[in-house]
Amino acid sequence: MSFLSPLFLMLGAAVGVPLLLHLMRRNIATRVDFPAARYLLRAEAEHSRSLRLRNLLLMLLRVLLVVALTLAAARPFLPGLGVGHGPTAVAIVLDNSISTTAVVGGSPVFDRLRDATRQLISASTPEDRLWLITSDGRVRGGSRDALLAEVARVAPAEGAGDLATALARAASTVQGSTLPARIVAVATDGQRTSWIGAARVASSLALLVPSGNPPSNRAVLSAAAEPGRWTPRGSLVARVETRDSVGYRIVIGDRTLSRGATGRGEPIVLRASPPERGWQAGRVELEPDDFPADDARHFALWIGPAPAVTADASAGTFAATAVSTLIADGRAAAGANIRLASADAVASLPALITPPAEPVRLGAANRELERLGVPWRFGSVQRNAVVARGGRLDNVAVTERYQLVRAGVATGDTLATAGGEPWVVAGPGYVLIGSRLDPAATQLPVRAPFVPWLADVLAVRLAAPTGDVGAPIAALPGRPIRLPAGAETLESSSGSRRSVTAEMMDAPEERGVWFVLRGGRRVGAVVVNAPPEESVLERWRAPALAATLGGPLARSASTNVGWVSDTFAAGATRPAGTPLLVLALLLIAAEALAVRTSRPTVA
Amino acid sequence: MESTRVPRADLFDPAALSALGHFEIVARWIVDGFLSGLHRSPRKGFSVEFADFRPYQPGDDLRYVDWKIAARADRWVVKQYEEETNLRATIILDVSRSMDWRSASEEPRLTKRAYAEQLTAALALLLLRQRDAVGLIRFDDAVRTSISPRARSGQWRRLVAALAEPGNGRASDLAAALGQAARLVTRRGMVILVSDLLVDVDAVMPAMRGLRAAGHDVNVLHVMDPAERDFTLAGEARYTDPESELDVPAAAADVRAAYRTTVDNVIAEWKERLGALGAGYEVILTDQPYAIPLRLAFGARERRS
Repeated sequence: MSFLSPLFLMLGAAVGVPLLLHLMRRNIATRVDFPAARYLLRAEAEHSRSLRLRNLLLMLLRVLLVVALTLAAARPFLPGLGVGHGPTAVAIVLDNSISTTAVVGGSPVFDRLRDATRQLISASTPEDRLWLITSDGRVRGGSRDALLAEVARVAPAEGAGDLATALARAASTVQGSTLPARIVAVATDGQRTSWIGAARVASSLALLVPSGNPPSNRAVLSAAAEPGRWTPRGSLVARVETRDSVGYRIVIGDRTLSRGATGRGEPIVLRASPPERGWQAGRVELEPDDFPADDARHFALWIGPAPAVTADASAGTFAATAVSTLIADGRAAAGANIRLASADAVASLPALITPPAEPVRLGAANRELERLGVPWRFGSVQRNAVVARGGRLDNVAVTERYQLVRAGVATGDTLATAGGEPWVVAGPGYVLIGSRLDPAATQLPVRAPFVPWLADVLAVRLAAPTGDVGAPIAALPGRPIRLPAGAETLESSSGSRRSVTAEMMDAPEERGVWFVLRGGRRVGAVVVNAPPEESVLERWRAPALAATLGGPLARSASTNVGWVSDTFAAGATRPAGTPLLVLALLLIAAEALAVRTSRPTVA
Repeated sequence: MESTRVPRADLFDPAALSALGHFEIVARWIVDGFLSGLHRSPRKGFSVEFADFRPYQPGDDLRYVDWKIAARADRWVVKQYEEETNLRATIILDVSRSMDWRSASEEPRLTKRAYAEQLTAALALLLLRQRDAVGLIRFDDAVRTSISPRARSGQWRRLVAALAEPGNGRASDLAAALGQAARLVTRRGMVILVSDLLVDVDAVMPAMRGLRAAGHDVNVLHVMDPAERDFTLAGEARYTDPESELDVPAAAADVRAAYRTTVDNVIAEWKERLGALGAGYEVILTDQPYAIPLRLAFGARERRS
């Protein structure tokens, strides 16, 4: 039994009044002259048994009356009384993650979940309190009709959402309700990856996982251009999840770049030198299946001519050798557009700048940096052995380095650190490294990542037009992303645009490639794809998931009716106020009858 | 001939009637009203003696017109006769403390004693007007007043004066009063007992039996307040008998039904045991008009005659 207004139970103390009156009857203080008292005495003697029984009956009726009124005032809820269900606070978590678009039994799972949600809301009463929470964690409240309208508006999301957060919000929402019955009702496809990290809720929980097995899925798990900037040659690597052979197509812009077939565990690798130039959108497509959401994956790349590079002698022999290798591989061209030189010898930007070979040249180097507008200066030399941190340069040993000191307000990125201090920094037209490219200062020139790193630096940081982002930004639908400074607009490959309000903003929900525009020019790209784990449609068993999310008392169902029943059965206590008031009226009538019409048996 | 209908005082509410004047006057109104309500004149029959003339009134029996006077004086008169009587009535009035009680009610109500005294006065006057000899015995825990039955003109004054005397003894020695009545009335006569009968019935019955054995016609008027009859009091209290100090705690609503049953039993017992002796018995409630007990007593007198 639970009570909506338990404070009224304090009125129960009044039950002592009839008891007290009954026990104190013999201590009446009022005296009344009544000459026929002898008849009264005789009446009590002749009818003592019936009078005693009647007094007991009256006392019981009055005690019961007080109890019934007290309980009615406290607005109790009892199991098994009345019809329907008691007022219940229900937070409905409707899983609209992208995995629910999988077709099972001829229709998308989401349609079945939405129908079940509609059925649940329709089964509610005006006394219930309902909220709808979708997988993005958004909470909607309101009347039954308003929620039905909201359900009609809910569409499958483009991503996985955050069902763990949605469940936590649902739990906290119902916990804040004052209604006696509170439950979280979850309608989900039961995808195993969706519920990783979800905490067990303290409320009751009713779970719906529709029957049926997930479809056999083929998915493009990843697709990326290597490197992000093709000059103009590069590779596209895609990873596909499939149990058998499947046909694929690679598209750049509107042009099909390649077609083919791949099998289980075989990555798709395409090396190409396409004629397009600038930022391009592409995608890898598979033949459609019952889960079409992951049949295509988008990628973006920048295509341009190979950067013309020259390595100055001041940069060291290792730099010159690496540049020669890149030129030989076609990823760079001989020319003076980009220079690799020490700071005291670099004459123009763009350039990869190293410290001077002689410490006495440090002053000249810093003056040259100032002249070129580079907002960094070489500081004191550090000769302690440290390792670098940052991308490809992780774990590279550094034994001698100059501290990089900001000059004024430095803009740009720190590409790597050493000893916790900036070691490689980049900005418009420059990449500055704190150590000479010499094994006596750092192991970088003799490490395998050196040449690819140098290729990336040339292509992404130095060959790109001034202010260009360089590499595409990978994003999940609706999740926060950081845009480059000065970004003004996002433009999809279909031409639709969105204004950029801040550097940190939520990525578009719509999957695809969104070009970053600044001054009307494409300076980068945001690639929005569903998380690859959404392609893993393996499900929880409903009871196991219910136990995980709601503990051993949580209920699970595979049908709409069962789910609705479970939801309101958790609050199966029904309002008992009216039956108690009826009981109180009956007791009043019985008491009046006993007082007025009950005649004792004549002795 | 136009008749004038005069309100009959014997049908008035007793309390309202008592407020109009001294009970001696009120008694006259009651008796006048009572007599005017009788359908037949009591002054006729074989055993009557001439008493007076009065002017003829339409409706008078022509048999009693004095034709000699009509012929001689051209004036129509009718002869009036007095009935000879040998009835000796004794009224025994209970004036104990239990009689000096009335229940609280919305309507003004007389105490049982006030009602009984007014009834006694009216009854005595009625009998005296019938030329009967009327005596009075007042008692509480002892006989307070004892007036032998007389039919003289001053008897009414004596009776009225006696009714004004105090009483209110703590008990009711009814047996002694009945014994005193037996000694006062040597010839066979009528004894009318006016009491609330809050006495032990077994203690009274021998005296009753003695009166009946002496040939007296005994009539008992059991005076009760309506609250004593139906226990219409309310609330929880200690109900105390002012005479015996008997103290009974009770909730009126709880015990009312049982009380009524008990009072029914008591009345039935009195009626049965007095009836077995050939004595009359009636319950008189203090909110009833005096006509009711008067008619009962007068009926008994008529039967006796």
